[in-house]
Amino acid sequence: MTNMTDTSSPVTEAAVNQKSKEAYFTASQGQLIWQRFKRNKSALAGAWVLIILILSGMFAPFLTPYEPTISGRDKDYLNGAPQIPSFCDSNGCSLRPFIYTSTRTRSIQTNFRWVTETDTSLEARRYLTFFTEGASYTYFEFNINLPGEALDFHVPGFKFDTHLFGVEPGMIHLFGTDSTGKDIFSRTLTAVNTSMAVGTIGVIIAFVLALAIGGISGYYGGWIDSVLQMFTDAMKTIPSIPLFMALAAFIPDVWSAEARFFFISMVLGLIGWTTLARRIRTHLLSERNQEYVLAAQLCGASPAHVIRRHLLPSFSSYIIVDLVISFPYMILSETALSFIGLGLKDPVNSLGVMLQNVTSADVLLNYQWYFIPVLFFIVLVLAFVFVGDGLRDAADPYSDSK
Amino acid sequence: MLQFSRFVAIRATLAVFTLVLVSFIVFSLMEMVPGDCAERYLAFKSSQGAVITAADIQAERVRLGLDQPYVQRWGHWIVNAFQGEFGDSCILRLNIRQLIGPKFWLSLGLCLSALLLAYAIAIPVGILAATSKNATVNNGLRFVSYLGLALPNFLLALMIMLFSTLVFGNSLTGLFSKEFRDAAWSVDKFVDFLSHAWLPVFILGWSATAFAIQTVRALMSDEVGKLYVTAARARGVSGRRLLMRYPARHALSPIINSLGFDLNRIFNELPIVALILTLTEAGSLLIEALARSNDQQLAGAIIFLLTASIVGINFITDIILALTDPRIRRSIIG
Repeated sequence: MTNMTDTSSPVTEAAVNQKSKEAYFTASQGQLIWQRFKRNKSALAGAWVLIILILSGMFAPFLTPYEPTISGRDKDYLNGAPQIPSFCDSNGCSLRPFIYTSTRTRSIQTNFRWVTETDTSLEARRYLTFFTEGASYTYFEFNINLPGEALDFHVPGFKFDTHLFGVEPGMIHLFGTDSTGKDIFSRTLTAVNTSMAVGTIGVIIAFVLALAIGGISGYYGGWIDSVLQMFTDAMKTIPSIPLFMALAAFIPDVWSAEARFFFISMVLGLIGWTTLARRIRTHLLSERNQEYVLAAQLCGASPAHVIRRHLLPSFSSYIIVDLVISFPYMILSETALSFIGLGLKDPVNSLGVMLQNVTSADVLLNYQWYFIPVLFFIVLVLAFVFVGDGLRDAADPYSDSK
Repeated sequence: MLQFSRFVAIRATLAVFTLVLVSFIVFSLMEMVPGDCAERYLAFKSSQGAVITAADIQAERVRLGLDQPYVQRWGHWIVNAFQGEFGDSCILRLNIRQLIGPKFWLSLGLCLSALLLAYAIAIPVGILAATSKNATVNNGLRFVSYLGLALPNFLLALMIMLFSTLVFGNSLTGLFSKEFRDAAWSVDKFVDFLSHAWLPVFILGWSATAFAIQTVRALMSDEVGKLYVTAARARGVSGRRLLMRYPARHALSPIINSLGFDLNRIFNELPIVALILTLTEAGSLLIEALARSNDQQLAGAIIFLLTASIVGINFITDIILALTDPRIRRSIIG
């Protein structure tokens, strides 16, 4: 048997070897990174979770049955417990999942406290409906208000009113409701989207600043580098959240929720650029003395051109990895700020906003479902960490010694 | 000796310079904020019923020296700040030094104990993780360190509160029992304080611990495979003695450098953890100063003090490292 393989396969094996080697040597940087990334199971799992979470955040208006704002409230079910749809109970099974009807009463018998009674009889079953029509939502709607009447225009976008599921009659609350009757499930998915948006804006601003400051510092070196590095170091020494709190505290109360949102994301970016700037500078310092840079300079390329076309591509994969890794920090800082009431405010939903009132004894003792969104965010951050770690290993060309 | 004192002098100058730069950044940020101290105070007074005119605001500005040029005011501020004087609070009209003095020391004490606890846990655990071949131990520790990032301190505090409320019926908040809250410091009060303080200290140090475990582990695993360890083992040294005398001494000295960085991490968590655990005695002053009162002077002073503590720690660790690590000592003294 061994002889057989020895005599028959060397040609094909060598060919296969040759081919795989050729594929390896001609593969682009992106293909190599993807190959290495695929081998890391936890990173791949993290990537899937991340994609699912991001998509469910983006399609939150469709996936969630109600609006996450006060207009989507259920005034008959305040501080309501989660309603889990089931298929079977003691009254028999149904193909269509159902929930029970709860009524809230308050009388002298209950000492004037609100008490929820759940009616589990067959008649009180409420069945889930799918592709239900409900509150309408729009995608790609823009209002542009430039100075001057003629420049104002309105893009109506696409209007939908179909939701993935609902219940007939009444409302369904998978994760329960909060003290004003807002659906926690709807709020959670919207909050995922908000956090991603805050993170994206913050990361983009941090990236641009880091690129400018790190780029100048690393490309020119010398005293410019020393001065900028001192500034970066000083910036790094200041504890960022207290600083952030100080800045956010001065947002005038009259600002709209949207203006707050952009300001908060911007400040996150303005504070979070230091680590990335340091990385870019170090890479540039080591790369700028290479011959290909000299060649480009001799050809008369401007510094901006050399940085953009020759130096950046040499470590763009590292930059992407750093951006992914800095994402969870942005999300967590925003959450922390909103939690203490200095970040985003009510009509905008984020985890921090949702957690604002949970430290009261009432919530801790009676309404533990307020904490459900926390799980989503732990999963979101963990997914980012796994993907970031996987990408870092994959982007390192020496990680597999071929 | 002369070279060593020169090294200390250079480090001290650098530290002071960093602080000056920090003060410039903090001061500029405080300036960029809309409205100044005079407006804010008079707005506060007008909300109390007083009638305020534009001339009053101008007069108040002159009284506070706000009409002077920017650089001059900054210079004035920084000179006073180095003497521990931060002027009066914008709104409370109290001397900031008296206002935050004891609270600041208590906060700093909490944070330093958190740092100490973080390293007391991280160093043995990290060494264990680096040398253990046990997959369960390694995976468990990896998970803990990931959780250190994904479950930030304030969420951990929330979770512990939720858990302890459900299980013990007590949310474990505050720093003192009721009967000691306003009492003078005594042995009993101190014991009571310790019995309450361990939880905030642990929570404050939580993510720093998770990260420090990672660092210790990485540094140790780099060292344990080196030849001098093998040589020592060949000479018959083994077990804990081998680890502590050879690779740990090499691996641990860079960790001293990260103390300042970890203190920064802990300061980041202090205000929020303090709010959740209702540590009114300590860091929540920050939140009060920053959030509730819009007090530029107070906020600037607190951020400056926090940063000064980090710069101080960095300075001290530099000196300690130079004293204890012969490799660095050689490079300084020659």
